[in-house]
Amino acid sequence: MERFGNRSFKWLMILGPLLILGLVYLFLSSTTSTKKNWKVLIMDKNEIFDGKLTASRPQNLSFDFINAFVEYDDFAKDEKYKDYDLAVQINEKIVSNKHVIISYKEYPPENIQRHLVYYVERRLEEIMVEQFTDLSVSKFRDIKQSLQFNLKDANDPRNEKSTTASWVGFGFGILIILFVFMFGMTILRSVAREKSNRIVEVLLSSVKARQLLTGKVLGIGFSALIQFTAWVVIIGFGLYVFRLTLFPDMFSAGFVADEIAKEGAQNPLSNQSPFVELIYSQIHYTNMLIFFTLFFLGGYLFYGSFFAMIGASMGSESDGQQFVIPITLLLFLAVLSGYYTVYYPGTILSEWIGFIPFTSPMVMMVELSNGFEDGSAWKLFLSLAILFISAFFMMRIAGRIYKNGILRFNHRLKLNMLLKWTKK
Amino acid sequence: MITVENVSKYFNRQTILHDVSFALNEGEILGLLGPNGAGKTTLMRIINQIISADKGHVTFDGNLIQEKHLLEIGYLPEERGLYQSMTVEKQIAYLGRLRGMSSVDVKHQLNYWLDKFDIQAWRKLRIEELSKGMAQKIQFICTVLHAPKVLILDEPFSGFDPLNIELIRQELLEFKKKGHSIIISTHNMNSVEEICDRAVLINKGQKLLEGSIQEIREQNKEGLYKISFTGNMIAFANALWAGYEIIDKEVHSDDTFTVYLKMRKGNEINDLLNAVIDQVKITGIETVLPSMEKVFVKTINAQKEISSE
Repeated sequence: MERFGNRSFKWLMILGPLLILGLVYLFLSSTTSTKKNWKVLIMDKNEIFDGKLTASRPQNLSFDFINAFVEYDDFAKDEKYKDYDLAVQINEKIVSNKHVIISYKEYPPENIQRHLVYYVERRLEEIMVEQFTDLSVSKFRDIKQSLQFNLKDANDPRNEKSTTASWVGFGFGILIILFVFMFGMTILRSVAREKSNRIVEVLLSSVKARQLLTGKVLGIGFSALIQFTAWVVIIGFGLYVFRLTLFPDMFSAGFVADEIAKEGAQNPLSNQSPFVELIYSQIHYTNMLIFFTLFFLGGYLFYGSFFAMIGASMGSESDGQQFVIPITLLLFLAVLSGYYTVYYPGTILSEWIGFIPFTSPMVMMVELSNGFEDGSAWKLFLSLAILFISAFFMMRIAGRIYKNGILRFNHRLKLNMLLKWTKK
Repeated sequence: MITVENVSKYFNRQTILHDVSFALNEGEILGLLGPNGAGKTTLMRIINQIISADKGHVTFDGNLIQEKHLLEIGYLPEERGLYQSMTVEKQIAYLGRLRGMSSVDVKHQLNYWLDKFDIQAWRKLRIEELSKGMAQKIQFICTVLHAPKVLILDEPFSGFDPLNIELIRQELLEFKKKGHSIIISTHNMNSVEEICDRAVLINKGQKLLEGSIQEIREQNKEGLYKISFTGNMIAFANALWAGYEIIDKEVHSDDTFTVYLKMRKGNEINDLLNAVIDQVKITGIETVLPSMEKVFVKTINAQKEISSE
């Protein structure tokens, strides 16, 4: 019952779900709504669609027909097709193979994909009904086989880049978030413990509050780095040992030849399993580890200051627990942002979230694993700079809150109290 | 050594300290007295630079107190705190290092104090394994380990049994003898009378009294005298007649008494002696000074009355 009377409990009861709804809205809106006009080229060599589509088109989609197949490379680079965002291949056997390829220059959001599928399906239904049955379109729709749509990047139709590299970055980003959360919680627990057992007053009689906080955050951060280094060394050594001892066949010429023979000419580009290739060939460990360390440090200092603020300002343990939830949600948002960037790289939203310090450590690891185009590496350094400046700024605020809140006990933490503490 | 000059502190529009000034001299023990919520802890935190004063300042050896001076202060807060899972020796060493001691000095001082308190056996015990009194002892060692010039102790005797109270009392007197200065905040008025040279009394953030213990008691004396005699009590009382008021008496035997009385009509000790000397055999006479406890209660109540008016 005591918890129900707690103001922060009540606030969180309302704000928590609203925050989650906000996150979901942000995610959905980023994947469904777009103001851009998407121009679609329908490549209908045999003129099966007869230059027509059934239903009226939405405002953000426009279609043109062409009675030829355009190669992916031409579609991607030829001046003639520069205005087109998407191309839909209506192959000559579509009626029997039910297969449609959509090639894109920029990955289309869900709503655009849905619309495209809808128009192509509807038109084909009309054609099928007209040519092969006496059924009505709606009857036919009930019994027909659905089309299979396959999305291909016009710049990478064989999916050579694939999202595998992005997932590597995502993995590193997840590690950052995991470490930030683990060691952020360590900061919180450590501050709260010193506060609750009152030793903090003894410590403050020897060192300044800001020094104490900085020492604590840096000390825990250092221990995190040590732990991470141990992980890197042990995993690195383990992978090396695996390669030498447990799975030497994977890298032998015989094994590779066997694999190719087994697969025939299906996948001549890869002579190893994607996982093996990913682990031993695709990850640029030096780059990733350097930027992982930098983004981890920035993210840790940035988020760590929030954890320190909570630890120093909480009046009771339950207070603190409740204020951890919004931070956990922010970390969750960061993970979501990474996930979004894997699937929608190069969108305006993914550019922005790469600079926002709450999400940048995660997003930038994904971006980094995809590689930056020539002349755009500044984004990485700008993101780092923003992250470190924000972390410095937040540490200053955390220092003030720590100084004002650390010797307050058994109070009810209120937001206006926190705001007041940031001022002096 | 330390001067507090016109210090004021406000929290949420409430005055916690108002224009408080006093000085701690070298080699003295100063009692900082006051009821709960008087502002003593806030004052001690300001001296220790844990919080800052809104007005006024604190000096150390004539200079505005700075961070470097904190290494010369040993602070024992009322709310004791130690890392529960740390061993005694690690705890003491950690706090010693935090106060700028070298590891060699820490080791040396640690052994000195563990030997002195005869607690070498506790060395490897974790704080959580100690009783409250044992932990208090460790806390005391942590406070004095770096041999600070100034000790600021908030309720240093709380949680101790009488034997340990005496032990700590002796240590404090030893520190004083070596020229260290000490501020003690306590509600134990007997200790104040026994070991403090001077006292400052604050209430509701204001200083009400300052002076040596003797001065303060003298200033608050109520004209009470204690006279011991052998003889007849009735004859003694009749001899006093209306010029004196008997407040209390102690009967030691059939003809041995101690009487507490107040003078009336401007009478003095000589008048008293003249009045009774033919009736009883006087064995002792002295002015009775009020205890610090009485001074404390009287002063606080007087302030209450003034503010209620």
